Amino acid sequence: MFDDFGWENLPPLLDGMLLTAFLVVTSGFLGTVLGFLLGLSRTAPSRIARIVSAVYIGFIRGQPVLIILFFAYYVIPLMFPAVSVSRGVTAIAGLSIYAAAYIAEIVRGSMLAVPAGQSEAAAALGMNFRQKLRYVVLPQALRIAVPPGIGFLVALVKATSLTSVIGFVELTRAGRITSTINQEPIATFLIVGALYFVICYPISMVGRWYERRLA
Amino acid sequence: MTFYFGDILPYLPEMLTALWLSLWVTLASFVVGSIGGILLSLAKTGPVRVVSAVASGYIEAVRNTPLLIQLYLIYFGLGQAGLQLNPLWSALIGLTLNNAAYTAEIFRAGFASVPVGLREAGTALALNKYQLFRHVVFKPGLRGIIPSLTNQLIILFLYSSVASVISLEELTAVLLNINNATLRTLEVFTYGAVLYWLTSALIAYGARTVERVMFRW
Repeated sequence: MFDDFGWENLPPLLDGMLLTAFLVVTSGFLGTVLGFLLGLSRTAPSRIARIVSAVYIGFIRGQPVLIILFFAYYVIPLMFPAVSVSRGVTAIAGLSIYAAAYIAEIVRGSMLAVPAGQSEAAAALGMNFRQKLRYVVLPQALRIAVPPGIGFLVALVKATSLTSVIGFVELTRAGRITSTINQEPIATFLIVGALYFVICYPISMVGRWYERRLA
Repeated sequence: MTFYFGDILPYLPEMLTALWLSLWVTLASFVVGSIGGILLSLAKTGPVRVVSAVASGYIEAVRNTPLLIQLYLIYFGLGQAGLQLNPLWSALIGLTLNNAAYTAEIFRAGFASVPVGLREAGTALALNKYQLFRHVVFKPGLRGIIPSLTNQLIILFLYSSVASVISLEELTAVLLNINNATLRTLEVFTYGAVLYWLTSALIAYGARTVERVMFRW
């Protein structure tokens, strides 16, 4: 079975794997920045900030990644008719929008997991909202956020496979192209799956190790 | 930019039919997959080492690869092996196998949360193995993991959209068809987004109600 795969097809798959990693890093970074701000807004003193972030998180978490990607793919070029938007940009935009909502929820959950007494004690010391976050709540919350954050990172790696549907040639798309060339879908997708596993499994293991260390 | 939401309204029945397909495919895969998940979690924590290793290997393999690749393996891979399944069966089997691995981890954590003292008390009351699992481990263990199971059900529903890629005519595929027919992209996907959001909110609400009724004790 693997003899018919044609090992000359492996380099394109590895190129695709590199682009998958690129998608994860860029959208993971943008999603974390945006998600962090949204997560903080959920507990902010401003009512408008709380409502806007709650609506965003609630709505995006009720969407399939595929719908978000199609939305980005069709609507971003409509909004910016003057510039030509590449598929990579729409893929990164869609994944970042998706990641931000889940990361915001992780940030919020971790902040809630810090005992209320900590926040009250900070307030009693006369700290304002910013100081309370910076010196008391966040240092504790971020440690709690690491295991679910790593769990989401694995989900993000898997979600990047869906950008193949809007025509971005990452690992899954490269596999699909290869399988139509060599007519060996079983071997090809087993290899593609193994390449995803090589990315995801170590990340999962780090998450589990950190969780044990916290406990 | 002008919007024509009214123009898309005639397509709503078509969208609802497709949403119904998404929903029942999700529910069927969730129910069958969860039974598989319970068996997998028992196999993983069981005394037989080979069985436990196979169960762990299966769970890790599924959880660390994308659903799309799993669907490709079933739809195209089985086809190559001479067993060409239609998109519906491919999606049902793929989502079921996928869900089994995810729920296995949830059930394992739930059953592990039942204190050893309770099991010992069950043994002291001379319950047999089946009774012990059914009354002492399963039901109390289930109570703590209902939120995780609900979450998994919603994620499975959202991920059923991936079946559109292997041409199952569920909601996402139908949205793409309507988009191609009308070219009212923003309007079509707004309808779709609202339908997905409403349905996942309803699932969350329904699960809370079920939880209240099931665990009144």
